[in-house]
Amino acid sequence: MVINEFLTALLAILGSPQAVMLVLIAVALGIILGAVPGISTTMAIAVLLPITFGMEMEMAILFLLGVFIASVYGGSISAILINIPGTPAAMVTQLDGYPMAQRGQGGQALKLALYASTVGGLFGILLLIGVSPLMAAAANMMQSAEFAAIAILGLVMLAFASSTSPVRGVMVGLIGILCGMVGFDTMTDIPRFDYSVPALQGGVDVVAMMLGIFGLAEVMKNLSGASNPDFQRPVIGNAVLSLASIFKRWGSMLRGSVIGAIIGCVPAVGSAIAVSVAYAQEVRLARDKSAFGSGEPRGVVAPEAANSSSIGGSLVPMMTLGIPGDTITAVLMGALLMHGLRPGPLLYVNNPEFFASVYAALFIGVMATLVVGLLLVRAVVRIMGIPPRILLVAIAVLCVVGAFAIRNSISDIYVMIFFGCVGYLLHLLRLPAAPLAFGLILGPILEENLGRALLLSRGAWSVFLDRPISLAILVLTLVVLLLPVLSGLWRRLKRPQLAGAAE
Amino acid sequence: MGFKKLVLGLSMLFALTGAALADESFPQKAVSMVVVWPAGGGHDIAARLVAEHAAEYLGQPIMINNVTGAAGSNGMRHVANADPDGYTVGLMGMHALVQSYMNPNAPSLDKFDPLAFLAFEPGSLQVRADSGIDSIEEYVEQLSRDPGSIVHGNDALGGNTFVYTTLLEKYFDVELTRVPYAGHAPNTGALVSGEITSAAMPIPQIVQHYQSGTVKVLGVMSEERNYMLPDVPTFREQGYDLVSGDYFIFFTPKGVPAEVRAKLEDAFLKAMDAPELRERAAVIGIEVQPGGQERAATVLKEQDALIYPVLLAEGMVHESLVK
Repeated sequence: MVINEFLTALLAILGSPQAVMLVLIAVALGIILGAVPGISTTMAIAVLLPITFGMEMEMAILFLLGVFIASVYGGSISAILINIPGTPAAMVTQLDGYPMAQRGQGGQALKLALYASTVGGLFGILLLIGVSPLMAAAANMMQSAEFAAIAILGLVMLAFASSTSPVRGVMVGLIGILCGMVGFDTMTDIPRFDYSVPALQGGVDVVAMMLGIFGLAEVMKNLSGASNPDFQRPVIGNAVLSLASIFKRWGSMLRGSVIGAIIGCVPAVGSAIAVSVAYAQEVRLARDKSAFGSGEPRGVVAPEAANSSSIGGSLVPMMTLGIPGDTITAVLMGALLMHGLRPGPLLYVNNPEFFASVYAALFIGVMATLVVGLLLVRAVVRIMGIPPRILLVAIAVLCVVGAFAIRNSISDIYVMIFFGCVGYLLHLLRLPAAPLAFGLILGPILEENLGRALLLSRGAWSVFLDRPISLAILVLTLVVLLLPVLSGLWRRLKRPQLAGAAE
Repeated sequence: MGFKKLVLGLSMLFALTGAALADESFPQKAVSMVVVWPAGGGHDIAARLVAEHAAEYLGQPIMINNVTGAAGSNGMRHVANADPDGYTVGLMGMHALVQSYMNPNAPSLDKFDPLAFLAFEPGSLQVRADSGIDSIEEYVEQLSRDPGSIVHGNDALGGNTFVYTTLLEKYFDVELTRVPYAGHAPNTGALVSGEITSAAMPIPQIVQHYQSGTVKVLGVMSEERNYMLPDVPTFREQGYDLVSGDYFIFFTPKGVPAEVRAKLEDAFLKAMDAPELRERAAVIGIEVQPGGQERAATVLKEQDALIYPVLLAEGMVHESLVK
């Protein structure tokens, strides 16, 4: 029945040339905005929101979801080519994407990311169509204890997602958590670490930090010649990708998709944790771990599949409960309200065809992203022909403009410049920068929910073990943590036997 | 002779008020409307709705500018520091009043002039349907019997549901176990998931959960019943004189020429009178009660008189801001 309505809605869109044109425009805008450092998915949607006011509601949904999906892929373009994630969800993609580009496989990395996004996106929709009531029920079981447990899982996974030693990754991550405490505390509204500077009361914005530690720091690295005497122009290389090399990664794509779809339902943290878990999972499963961080295609495929498949999941709490889990779905919900539709538990009962049209819009958005994305890879090749000096200046300018655009405040530019220096310092100390941003995203979530869970349990820490889901997540975390130790022990125990057998 | 002098005087007067004459041509460019909360929230869509309609009467577009952070104080400061030329307008609610007393870095409300009044948004009291509580009487009774036995979610210190909850506790002289949430969305989520038993959310947030039977609304803190919940009585109807709510007030920085403000006010009033805007606002949960500068100023003064004593009694007023 759902399938019938889905197909009807799909045909309705495909039957209208206007609608198809609209999706293609939406997707092209989404990819470009997503690729521009500093314009996150949230901002891309917010910026384009007023355009939809004059449209019919179905068209508006089609347009906005197209932008949503495409910008998630677009974020990987700048991550791969210039080592700056276009959106926070692409933060992990660059770990292997950028080394691939430097090795002359930029075009292949872009295409792999695109195919992985397509597979992930389709998987997310499949799950949304099949089991959205189940996903809604699961999302509704999440309480403060579970959110805290998931944040802990995310932080542990972060240790694996850093290319150098896990300990260094965790150290930087902890500094990131501290950065997350700057500003008004979300629970008590008491300003912390603000030194009575009004600009610090709003806290450190993750996009401003990302632009600094990845964008400006990259420019500084190249100017100082610390990394390489002459700037290596990102190389697109041979963008032709054999079918075989895509199918070789099907395992990573599927794993990433599953992880993204499940974790994507968790409000607020979905995609950020999903990408780090997906990446860590690949590192853990790989025989040759040293390849990660220096251009392993699986390190691009898994997180890209995960961030796209989390899109479907992130829509669930907003559409079924009327509770937006993150800023992206909050903007989408605002758009629906502007068009006279209030998401909530009654929407599904009163308006099932609306859900079908959302599924159809998502499906078309994913397919259109694939088509437009493939066409754009060629255009990107041209852009990358810009002389490196000009490109570096352009990146620096984009960082400043992007930081200002977050919330139209000059102080975010200072924050960006500060973290640019921090990023450069981390580079000199050979410390990974990505955990800093993860700490900033996950820290406040952990702190807020940990505090609230303990407030509710009246200070009893057992609350994390009494609740089955939270217990399961914590056990999983422990297994992930101990697995390398245990497998190391296992190997050490086995080696003498093997040696003995050889004799 | 006298006539000549008069002409001379008048022409000098005109020369002096040249700036005011230039204002005849206001607006020459797009007007920026500062929303202190992120895109997609209640304030944001209210602002976008009015901006879209008011732009037609103003003859220039009105661009939404989300200047967020620090519980709304960043945006308020942005407007306070803007040129008083009428090209910067803001939208505020209870947050601005509360922050102006709690946070020494938040601008004082003397730095602004209210421009137009959009609507009130009453607070209300909800419990989970499975809580076994059916009326305000039972709610209060349970709390008097066993203080702190109801786990209640509200905003962080200073948010509107924090204020409603504080008023509720004071009025009935009861004690709740209060749990803070960063905003209405997670607070609603907690009520629906059962992490908390009661909340004091604005009605648009919970109306569908009420209609689907998950949540019961015990009373609305307004003078008259809310159009979204016509079958739910107000606190007053049930014999409790508890009225509180948030509000939407458009404002400009201090010092904008009166003619410019009059033009803006006129455009906003016309926009808010449009039936199409009222219909769309109703979906969002806003019952438009348009008012001009005077009404906006009166409401703000009343709210100040109402809220300040509560904040003072709660020890929330910063020592440097005690009146």
